[in-house]
Amino acid sequence: MNTIIQEQDGNMLVFFEGRLDTVAAAETAEACKPLFDCKDQDIIIDCTKLDFIASSGLTILVDILKQTKPNGCRVILKGLSDDLREIFDLTGLTTFFEFT
Amino acid sequence: MNRIIAYIRSKLSVKVSLWVVIFAAIIFNGALGFLFYQARETVRQEAINRATKILDNTSLYVESILKSAEVTTTMTEWLVKRHHNSADSMFVYSAGILINNPDLFGCSIAFEPYYFKEKGLYFSAYSTYEDGVIKTKQEGDDDYQYFYMDWYLMCKLLDRPCWTDPYVDVTSMTPNHLFGNEVITSYCRPLKDDEGNFYGVVAADISLDKLAETVSSMKPYPHSYSMMIGRGGTYFVHPDTTKVFYQTIFTESIEHPDTAMTALGHAMQRGEEGMKHMVVDGEDCLVFYKPLGHTGCSMAIVCPESDIFSNVARLYRTIIVIVCVSLLLMFYFFIRIITRELHPLRRLAQETKTIASGQFETTLPDLDRTDEIGQLSHSFGNMQNSLVKYIEELKRTTAQNAAIESDLRIANSIQMGMLPKVFPTKDDRDDVQIYASLTPAKAVGGDLFDFFFRDDKLFFCIGDVSGKGVPASLLMTVTRAVFRTVSAHESVPNIIVENLNNIIVESNETNMFVTLFVGVLDLKTGHLHYCNAGHDVPLLVGAGVGKLPCKPNVPVGLFAQWKYILQDTYIFANTTIFLYTDGLTEAENEQKHQFKRRRVINVAKEALELNQLEPRQLIDKMSDAVHQFVGEAKQSDDLTMMAIQYIKPEHHVTYNKTLVLPNDTMQLRRLAAFVNETCEVLGFSENLTKKMLLAIEEAVTNVMLYAYPPDVKGEVRIDMSANDLLLLVNIYDSGAPFDPTAMPEADVTLPLEQRRRGGLGIFLMRKLMDSVSYERIDDCNALTMIKRLDNLENKQ
Repeated sequence: MNTIIQEQDGNMLVFFEGRLDTVAAAETAEACKPLFDCKDQDIIIDCTKLDFIASSGLTILVDILKQTKPNGCRVILKGLSDDLREIFDLTGLTTFFEFT
Repeated sequence: MNRIIAYIRSKLSVKVSLWVVIFAAIIFNGALGFLFYQARETVRQEAINRATKILDNTSLYVESILKSAEVTTTMTEWLVKRHHNSADSMFVYSAGILINNPDLFGCSIAFEPYYFKEKGLYFSAYSTYEDGVIKTKQEGDDDYQYFYMDWYLMCKLLDRPCWTDPYVDVTSMTPNHLFGNEVITSYCRPLKDDEGNFYGVVAADISLDKLAETVSSMKPYPHSYSMMIGRGGTYFVHPDTTKVFYQTIFTESIEHPDTAMTALGHAMQRGEEGMKHMVVDGEDCLVFYKPLGHTGCSMAIVCPESDIFSNVARLYRTIIVIVCVSLLLMFYFFIRIITRELHPLRRLAQETKTIASGQFETTLPDLDRTDEIGQLSHSFGNMQNSLVKYIEELKRTTAQNAAIESDLRIANSIQMGMLPKVFPTKDDRDDVQIYASLTPAKAVGGDLFDFFFRDDKLFFCIGDVSGKGVPASLLMTVTRAVFRTVSAHESVPNIIVENLNNIIVESNETNMFVTLFVGVLDLKTGHLHYCNAGHDVPLLVGAGVGKLPCKPNVPVGLFAQWKYILQDTYIFANTTIFLYTDGLTEAENEQKHQFKRRRVINVAKEALELNQLEPRQLIDKMSDAVHQFVGEAKQSDDLTMMAIQYIKPEHHVTYNKTLVLPNDTMQLRRLAAFVNETCEVLGFSENLTKKMLLAIEEAVTNVMLYAYPPDVKGEVRIDMSANDLLLLVNIYDSGAPFDPTAMPEADVTLPLEQRRRGGLGIFLMRKLMDSVSYERIDDCNALTMIKRLDNLENKQ
């Protein structure tokens, strides 16, 4: 699991690559901590290369959203596969994120 | 003997009389015993006084005789001294002594040899009685050298007056009559001249025979006798004349040791005085003894006790006879009196017997008495009246009861007729076999069970109406009928229960209710939908013995429009669902102990071990166990059991593989590979594969994180098997009991702000799988997840 965070055009760009399972969750959560300080920015999470997401992975995304939304941020999930999108539907998270 | 005892027992009069007489006899016996003891003591004292007095008198008499002999000789001494030269005058003196003392037997005045030269060697003037006349003669010749005799020598040698021992008087001896001779004792006094030279002896003889006569005449009692012994113990007087002179008091003791007799002999020899209680010639006797003066003799009076107490004994016999006769008379009169007093009672008994045989109109004897018997008769009269009244009433109610019972019998057969009677077995069906039993506590009961097949589905229910008997049975009938009606067109258990509930609530005015379990089993897949309305939780007996997880719902019939919860699970091949009513768990034995669910589970475990899971076997086993437990106690509640064994139709198992992992999340990659490989073999789409992986990984992660304490190594085993209908995933671990299905599930309908972390895992498992169930089997956590493969197209 690789996590890359870049700042581009004032927005935060995050690349998730590989399997976001329980093993990777702790490491990923640590890597995503800088995102908590964002204000009035769009956080674009590129999931094109994300193969798998477990409940612990979903929890990380929800944590980011909960932290940044009150600061005027939007969290946009980009390139999510249909299979993973189905998991978001099942857990009722679709309504909180934006998808492109 | 037994007949006599039986007779006494049957007769109150004899019994009471016997007791009275026995007690009287005991009291009389005690009183008489004391009286006679006192009397005996008095008589004994009297006998002692009498014998002592006689002995004293005799002794005194003998003393007086002896004294007279002593006095006479003393008085004669001076005469002899004065005329010691005149030999012939000695004859006069000798005769004079006898004349003056009639008690004396004879008298000698003997001199030393040649004292009188003219008289030669011998001179002794001796006087005695011959044929009652005093004769005096000169004594001493070559045959009778008197100066060698005891009486002469003793006195000479002792040099003082003395008494001789008794001896036979040889002077009066006749050759042919040795035994007729006199036994005498003599008082001898030495004669001395002025110089003190001894020259002769004066001797006065006393006949012992005479003393003996006196002694033997002492007879205080008719059978008493006297005896007299000498210094050596020789008998001088004894009733048995052959013993006299020839035997001593010790003779018999030599042959037959008799310490009492020997002691008496010694005491008498010592000259003692006293009384002894001893056995003489085999008879209890009192012996009184006393010495006779200085003679060295001792006399004894032997008085047999039988003689002393003869009067007392006679009196005793007489009184005993009188007492016995009185007791017999008493016995007789008591029997007569009591028999007469009890006569009315016998009549009463006779009449009561007649009444008891059913003739209630019999008139009881009219007794004009106020005692207990009169009261009894009166009470019997009242009882008779009441009996007549009650019997009439009993007849009426019995007839009524018979009618009700007949109705109940019919009701029972109607009720039983409603229940399924034909149970499918292995021979009838290849997918399920069923057996059930219902035992009402009364003629009709409130328990019900039912099952039927429709559209490859098994519809079944078990229920228990509150209460027992007729009211419960009516509601049971309604419930069963409505169940059939509703389930004819409805396949979802909670809808069936809700419909049932609404119909029953509408007409339930007595507030009775029904606990009900309704299940619908898809026979193709083993998918069970069920709804439990407050009923006992059924058991699942298969891999182990577990409970079917049930949500609490209210019983049917209480609240209209109540929403009942639907639950579902998968039943595995050869698992038996065991349903029962509380009549099983609450069956009571005589000690009021209940059978309880733990015993039900134990029996099920036993059946599992013995591989007796077929419904009929299981129910028979359970029935045996509960009957054995209850014993003779009365069945208190309706008892119903139903067992359904699902036999999965044989499908070709296309896949079956196992993976064992340590409890380390780093190993989850191996799990992913394992699942991916399986799904590929099974030809799952990528989408389905990802969903399966997510569900399985969530479950395994739970185990790795929570089943074992930190730093404790453990294992988790994942079994995956599949056929063309199902994918079955079993996850086992031997960690602490942990039921993930009981964890709070995330509520995905909440807005973001209210969402809490966690709970998403189990939520996803449930969503992605068709069934998730947990069991604790043999200290292992077993999580089972099922994915149906037959309707995937519909879902997708």
